[in-house]
Amino acid sequence: MTLNLSEAEMQALDELSVKKDLSKTAVLRQALRLYQTIEARLELGHKLFIEDTLQNDKSELMLL
Amino acid sequence: MSEGPSPVILTDSSSGDAVPAILLSQIGEEQISDWNQYWRPALEETLARLRANQVPKSRWPQSAHWDWEFKTKQMRGLLAFRGFAVIAQGVTQGLMRVDLNHNARLPAQAGKPLVYVEYLETAPWNRSDIATPRYRGVGSALITAAVDLSLEEDFRGRIGLHSLTQAESFYRDACGMSDLGPDTMYFNLRYFEMTAQQATAFLR
Repeated sequence: MTLNLSEAEMQALDELSVKKDLSKTAVLRQALRLYQTIEARLELGHKLFIEDTLQNDKSELMLL
Repeated sequence: MSEGPSPVILTDSSSGDAVPAILLSQIGEEQISDWNQYWRPALEETLARLRANQVPKSRWPQSAHWDWEFKTKQMRGLLAFRGFAVIAQGVTQGLMRVDLNHNARLPAQAGKPLVYVEYLETAPWNRSDIATPRYRGVGSALITAAVDLSLEEDFRGRIGLHSLTQAESFYRDACGMSDLGPDTMYFNLRYFEMTAQQATAFLR
């Protein structure tokens, strides 16, 4: 399989690879796992929230 | 890590002899069958004995309510979850479920992914807190599998878990994990983490 990424996407992948101490392949595998997990939970009717405990702010993340 | 069996060695507690065993990188129907056929009756017998002897509930096996059939069904088809089993003498001796969607908390590795051990349980007859265990080394074999998976996933051996109070000394002393203290966000269970360096020392 060949993965075509734009320059910006490639840069994001590079940055995540450094930040997470992972190879680029491992970053993509991790992203796929997380995406699949979220999809599975949403299909069960669960909701995904992002919480900022310092600002006492909680917002639902809408996924298409 | 292949899903096929790989050899591990347990110790027979009564004789001290080495017992050949296998590690499976999955929890299959046979393991659930063993859990239903052997683990549950053994656990019910233990609980009945503890109840009859008026042993305080705080000393009962804290994982007694774990339902491995349900836990296995929950992870079916999901890439983030993996199951492991240790088999000896044809019977499942230990089970573990891990989640790959967690990040480390120790300042030196905060935010980096790790293998999070959600559930790890040895068969009731192998629990040292109930009686003399039949086989020793099941927990270590499963933690080794978690570290090996972490290495394979490029996580450098990092693993993390919340420990039931009865297992804290195992993770702290036998596995050499860092104790980050009680987690108020997770039943006040102590959270333990293994760094890449600790993983190398553990595997030695």
